[in-house]
Amino acid sequence: MLEWYRYHKKMGSASVRRRAVGGILGAATYARAMLFFLLLWHLVSVWIANPVLLPGPLRVMESLFQMVASGELVEHALVSLRRLAVSFVAAGAIGIPLGVAMGMNRPFDDIVDPLVEVLRPISGIAWIPLALFILGVGDALPIFIMFYGALFPFVLNSYAAVRAVPPRYADAARTMGVPRRRIIANVMLPAALPGILVGARLAAGAGWMSMVAAELIGAPSGLGFAVEWYRELLMTSKMLAVVVSIGILGYTIDRVLRAVQHRMAPWSPAVRSEQ
Amino acid sequence: MSRAPALRALIAPLLLVLLWQVWASNLPARRHVPTPTKVFAAAYELIATGELPLALGQSLLRVIAGFAVAAVIALALGLLMGYFRAVGRNVDPVVESFRPIAPIAFLPLAILWFGTGTPAAVFIVAYAAFFPIIVNTIHGVRSVDASLARAALTMGVRRATILRTVILPGALPQIFTGARLGMGVAWTSIIAAELAVGAKAGSGGSGGIGQMMFVFYAYSVELNSIVVCMISVGLIALAIDRGLLWLQRRSMPWIEDKR
Repeated sequence: MLEWYRYHKKMGSASVRRRAVGGILGAATYARAMLFFLLLWHLVSVWIANPVLLPGPLRVMESLFQMVASGELVEHALVSLRRLAVSFVAAGAIGIPLGVAMGMNRPFDDIVDPLVEVLRPISGIAWIPLALFILGVGDALPIFIMFYGALFPFVLNSYAAVRAVPPRYADAARTMGVPRRRIIANVMLPAALPGILVGARLAAGAGWMSMVAAELIGAPSGLGFAVEWYRELLMTSKMLAVVVSIGILGYTIDRVLRAVQHRMAPWSPAVRSEQ
Repeated sequence: MSRAPALRALIAPLLLVLLWQVWASNLPARRHVPTPTKVFAAAYELIATGELPLALGQSLLRVIAGFAVAAVIALALGLLMGYFRAVGRNVDPVVESFRPIAPIAFLPLAILWFGTGTPAAVFIVAYAAFFPIIVNTIHGVRSVDASLARAALTMGVRRATILRTVILPGALPQIFTGARLGMGVAWTSIIAAELAVGAKAGSGGSGGIGQMMFVFYAYSVELNSIVVCMISVGLIALAIDRGLLWLQRRSMPWIEDKR
């Protein structure tokens, strides 16, 4: 197991070097494509000539820098990120054990699965009015909505990952007299790790998406709130600056989780397909 | 999952409903608290007066309109991006830059541009559905066996014809998967869009199930009706997903679906 791990780790670092060379070329094409898009945006904004409807990219850039410098953007972003962190950790702490237990224990699965399947189609966003009534406007509402959104990717991916572990791994351990608890910790969990990490990425994405909706409607702070706030003030360039930072942060979160995936499970198919 | 004995499958949901009823009827301030029996009564009333079907229909029409817009653009662009490397390389950065931005973040902009009516909601739905469709189309086109296209090329078939007769059918299963995912996020985002529009425009907006929920929350405080709306939102989401899955299996029986 260890040899195997080291081998894949070595292969992984070789491909990191290859990717760095490709990365410079990739950055050039990225810059070229985005420059073209920004130019188009600029021309359209000049043609519309109404900064409330569509401010140009330069104006939005300026607002972005100004808001970062004054600290208000950082403040909103930190509020949102903290909420995401709390709900993500809570969803993982409940979702992963639940999914693993469902994957390993058939009767438990038979009982819990209908509940999951009944609740899952009701999107987190549809809970907002009821949750607003129960929790009120504040920190608890966005955290609950994001938790709800992130829970199901955790449960479903942990479940599928445990189910996909070849039964002979656990059988082999059992014939050698390994106790059940150690089988879970040393056989099932490592083998299911790639799938669980994919679930974590999906969960973070789902949480981030519901964050905007929850904060836009029911929170007095955060990035989602800021977007709507600047619309009401008709400060469209500031509004778009917040939208841009939502995109950048969402992308960064996914990158960070991908890096975690590379470090913790370099052998996983999701990592290898990127190479 | 599907072989679950019917009896066991009923335990947890029934227990949940029972707990809910007992808990709700023992609360001190129980005037507004929803209970299963009151929810049933509210559901009956909302369906009998035609309010619920009307709102659901309104939302569904918007989803279909937005989805159609997204599908046309994403399909055309995705085919070109998957088939011609140059197009893919140059458009991909723009698509990938927009992908991490939550659809709802564009709602304030959509309200500025289109007002609080149907067009803003359709815009959000189209934006949300666009990404799953285009990403899956590109991937589907790229994973078509290259030797099929080469075989057609050696026989002197024109590139445009190959795109239509070899690449498109080969990529169809994946495109359909993208469409199913797109429809799912479209339905989620219409609820969010209508809720937010309702929150910002009051009851004088444009209807739809999301706004109906918000009116029940903010104006008439009918929690039972909110729960009815939530359940119907879930049922429609389930129906859309299962319906498209059935259609996919039925129209492309040769593919092995990975869920």
